Amino acid sequence: MTDVFAHALRRKAARLAVNALIGLFALLPILWGFLSSLKPTDKIVEFPPRLLPENPTLEHYVRIFADNAAYFIANSIAVSAASVLLTLALGALAGYAIARFRFPGRDTLMVSTVAVMSIPIASLLVPTFTLLSATGLADTRLGLVLLYSAYQLPVVVWMLYGYFLSLPVEVENAARVDGCSPTRTLFKVVLPLSKPGLVAAGLFVLVFAWNDFVVAVTMTSSETARTFPVAIYFYLGFYGREWGPLLAASIVSIVPIVAIFVFLQRHFVSGLTGGGVKG
Amino acid sequence: METRRAEFWVPYRLIAPAVALEAGLVIGPLLVGFWYSLHNVRFFQIRSFVGWDNYARVVTSPEVLGSLAATAIFAFFSLILTFALGFALALWLERDGRSATLMRAIVLVPYMIAMLVGSMLLKWLFSQEAGLSQLALGPLGMGDVSILANPKSAMAALVFNAMWRDAAFAMIMLLAGLKSIPPSLHLAARVDGADAWMRFRRITLPLLRIPILITVVRLLIHFVNILTFPLILTGGGPGNSTEVVVLRMFRLGFQDHILGPANALAILVFLANLALVAMLLLLFRRAGRL
Repeated sequence: MTDVFAHALRRKAARLAVNALIGLFALLPILWGFLSSLKPTDKIVEFPPRLLPENPTLEHYVRIFADNAAYFIANSIAVSAASVLLTLALGALAGYAIARFRFPGRDTLMVSTVAVMSIPIASLLVPTFTLLSATGLADTRLGLVLLYSAYQLPVVVWMLYGYFLSLPVEVENAARVDGCSPTRTLFKVVLPLSKPGLVAAGLFVLVFAWNDFVVAVTMTSSETARTFPVAIYFYLGFYGREWGPLLAASIVSIVPIVAIFVFLQRHFVSGLTGGGVKG
Repeated sequence: METRRAEFWVPYRLIAPAVALEAGLVIGPLLVGFWYSLHNVRFFQIRSFVGWDNYARVVTSPEVLGSLAATAIFAFFSLILTFALGFALALWLERDGRSATLMRAIVLVPYMIAMLVGSMLLKWLFSQEAGLSQLALGPLGMGDVSILANPKSAMAALVFNAMWRDAAFAMIMLLAGLKSIPPSLHLAARVDGADAWMRFRRITLPLLRIPILITVVRLLIHFVNILTFPLILTGGGPGNSTEVVVLRMFRLGFQDHILGPANALAILVFLANLALVAMLLLLFRRAGRL
């Protein structure tokens, strides 16, 4: 009997050890960045490194906010929120059309949605910049919103199409018999029933827009439209490598997305496995 | 009759805004890019039609060929290691219970944070200045090695970056697949005396083939087109050892401003992606659906 007990204990210890190793692998770079960001500049680069900062200081956090970090964060929030709203609006209309109507060209549309999903953003960067410059949308927040929406729209259409299909069609028919137009039915009946689907799809766009660096750094040049990841990037090169503010800004950018993720994790995971192909 | 004719156009009106956005910002740039790739372009001014010259220039450029090799090495090792780690994590954390739920959330953190930030944190971890990696390498007799200054270890660091961030993605995709396998199958096999390895090979793997296919295709496309990791972590260096093809294209376009060849390379990258997806799908189908 004690043997069984000892065996179970050993199993538990082994499991704990493996979990600790996994946790260390996932979190060590973040933890090390955080601890380093609390060190004064002359102590950041130190060998052998001290694990815990001797005199923790918030000077780097003060510094990035003196450098206008709040404005860039606000830019990121505004661009992300607008992208989510625009993508959901267009995606709901298109997804609803594909889910509830049979019309000539429907199959072509579904196939091309998948095709567009698999176009790599990287191969679009250079000509997109040319196009935005020609239309005056380069270096504007609106330009970023339109691009993020365009890149995530196929995935969102696909997700919402699947979600609408799973809804009972009888409720809609009843509304239609009562004289609701298709668009009215969508807004008054379908969308209120689709909250989980909308949250999953919206979260998808939000994470993309909040985290994007490549599109933002190529399409913006002035501070007006600069998003937070691009602002972080500039600490890498402009005044030599400034590890303190660089790490502080990195840590700050992690906080909101992890907070959102803690609350909405389930939706994000369902969206991830239900969604598209975009790399 | 009247309403029916009016209703004919309803779905088209509903999809019109979405189609317009995609046409303007995805299909449009693709066509514009193709047009540019056939011309001599200087600072956004089209000078002259040059036909396929830009393509010829690109495919014979040693830098581009080198970047193709770097892409292949990076994508190959990243795919194998990320998938293996993600699969192991999925199997390990499949069980219910609080500790598994917590661990799944922890593993997802690197995937949630911005790629730029993740690469930045790893750059700090691997840098000689930060010292932590130096401290770890010390006992191995490699204390003075600068990881990012040596071509081989820089590539390894880049692959580590991919694995660190994207193993969580593979894990989630495969977990969803694992959860959809009815437990009764495993139970029945266990009653019949099948050991864990047998059950894994005969039940888990065959039933997981579609999630595996989707995960592999999405990971591979992601790794072939990745720009942020090499741009931030290694800057393509040392030398050009980690300059992947997308980074080369980025530099042709946004640093050197030679837009003809940059667009030619972009079109080639696009075609390579198409070919890659088609090939993988064919391969999986040929293999009897895995």
